[in-house]
Amino acid sequence: MLPVWITGTRIWRSVFRHDLPETDLDRMSTMVTNFFLHLLPAKVNRNCLRLTYTWALGMVALFLMGLLFVSGFLLMFFYIPSTGWAYQSMKDLQFAVSFGPLLRNMHRWAAHGMVALVFLHMCRVFCTASYRAPREFNWVLGVLLWGVTLFMSFTGYLLPWDQLAFWAITVGTSIASYPPWIGETIRVLMLGGHTVGQGALLRFYVLHVAVLPAVLGLLVVIHFWRIRKDGGLSRATGATPPPDTGRTFTPGPLKTYALMEMVKGTSPMVGAQAPEEEVPTWPNLLFRLVVLFGVVLAVTMFLGVYFNAPLEELANFTHPPNPAKAPWYFLGLQELVSYSALIGGVVVPGLLILGLMSIPYADQEAEGEGLWFTSTRGKRLALWSVLATVPFTALLIFLNARVGVRHVFPNAPQILADILNPATLLLVGIAAFSIVIGRRMASRRMAAIALFSCFVSAYILLMLIGTFFRGPNWAWVWPW
Amino acid sequence: MRTPGLPSEGLDEKRLRLSRRFLLGTGWCGFLIATLGPALANVRYLFPNVVYEGPTRFKVGRPEEYPVGSATFLEEQRLFVLHDPEGFRALSAVCTHLRCTVGQFVPPDAQWKESHARCPCHGSIFAKDGRVLQGPAPRPLDFYRVSLAPDGRLLVETVAIVGRDYALKV
Repeated sequence: MLPVWITGTRIWRSVFRHDLPETDLDRMSTMVTNFFLHLLPAKVNRNCLRLTYTWALGMVALFLMGLLFVSGFLLMFFYIPSTGWAYQSMKDLQFAVSFGPLLRNMHRWAAHGMVALVFLHMCRVFCTASYRAPREFNWVLGVLLWGVTLFMSFTGYLLPWDQLAFWAITVGTSIASYPPWIGETIRVLMLGGHTVGQGALLRFYVLHVAVLPAVLGLLVVIHFWRIRKDGGLSRATGATPPPDTGRTFTPGPLKTYALMEMVKGTSPMVGAQAPEEEVPTWPNLLFRLVVLFGVVLAVTMFLGVYFNAPLEELANFTHPPNPAKAPWYFLGLQELVSYSALIGGVVVPGLLILGLMSIPYADQEAEGEGLWFTSTRGKRLALWSVLATVPFTALLIFLNARVGVRHVFPNAPQILADILNPATLLLVGIAAFSIVIGRRMASRRMAAIALFSCFVSAYILLMLIGTFFRGPNWAWVWPW
Repeated sequence: MRTPGLPSEGLDEKRLRLSRRFLLGTGWCGFLIATLGPALANVRYLFPNVVYEGPTRFKVGRPEEYPVGSATFLEEQRLFVLHDPEGFRALSAVCTHLRCTVGQFVPPDAQWKESHARCPCHGSIFAKDGRVLQGPAPRPLDFYRVSLAPDGRLLVETVAIVGRDYALKV
């Protein structure tokens, strides 16, 4: 503890007003009165401390976002968003700036980590049915956050102005030009012109460092605020998870426990089974968060020290690399786009986002919230969905390569080639499977599990195919 | 001036009275128009009126430089200059799928019985007349208008898309 001659001064007292709290009651009231801590509730349900329930995925994504903001601000001191200087400043960061490589590497790996973690967090929330009322809208916000995260990555990888940057943005903005009527306008708006040049670089820079971080920050704040307002993290009703904090509740001296939150309507207390299932946030949750942040920082720094972020050669607008591959998280999309840009790049992703957002409004059952896959039946269904999707997707790709529309009818109209391709057939197959499951098992939750498991496994499979099984001219190659 | 509670003389009360709801509604509509209008102007602001991009009309050399039967790839301009007995054509090398630059034309092989070019990004294959032989490209490659400049060199205009039958006789 600090000596009294510091903590006793008027200046210190004017800043902190109170000493460190010594009892649980004082700690809880500090949670409410402290500006930074009041984002967290005074008490949390034991369930949200269980690592096997949340896997801390959302918090890790938040910490990665924090690291990205800090490392991003620092990179901005050396990066110049001009076609003549951008690549040069990347080289400077790599070779001439103290700790430049580490910061750039950390920024890259934290970004990849965030893309992965946000997706995994969405999977966790789906699997435990945590999107149910009153959390429907927070799920919608989460889907939007996933989209913004991907858009952040997309705008970020133009900035180095290397070959990957130039051709990935050429391809990406061309996908944006496929929606009928408005497509070409969207493309001009994104590029600030008709080709990827200075206008596009500046636009993507402004989106990456100002517009999207603001949107992301705002959505994240609402996302967290809604967790509080929707009654804390979801949990199963009934069975209480075993206490794992090892601490008992110590009331403050001479005071009865009467902590009230200045919240109308739903608050963390509403829906709590009993006070004894809750533990003070300080130290139980707070300490875990500090440890978790340490782990996230350590892992990111380890990756930043030992693995260099790739930088290809300077952007060459005359000559695309062969194959021209997007970062791994977009390779599933690139695989779909390689069948049909309209279907794979616009229709399927659009329907996917709409489908994900509508899940909580379709499944309004009460059973199995807070339990992984709801029930044993749900677990088996998820497993079978994955086992069925993998060969089905592989078969579609094989058939497309052998008896695709253009193979059989070289002069078939484009609309036929758009409709009869693996992306459309996969979407139709998965939707039909989900509807059949919903009918036969008479449960919308089961239909949702089928849909989501198929989507996740197809998404990952396509990503793996795009990453390892596609070579020059996007032809099929074996990775060995 | 009228005293509250007393009907004013000579005026039809019912016709002149504005309801509070109507006044508020008008006010809010006015507020929305006043704020959304300028906001919409920003959308127009984001579309540039002047762009500093490469020229859309450029000369590609003298006709003699291209022997009959050749398909010359001009890397900087992203196009092929085709010269066959019918005349000169300028074939775009920008893939119609997602705007990658297609590779050079290669001679016929076991799979394709005509000369063809492949796009490295998603594997579309094009014939010399621009047709899509294979892959995700939704339409054939474009042909640009070729003309003869006064100085006797070939002039290509990438904003002027012409049909496949268009050829410049020299």
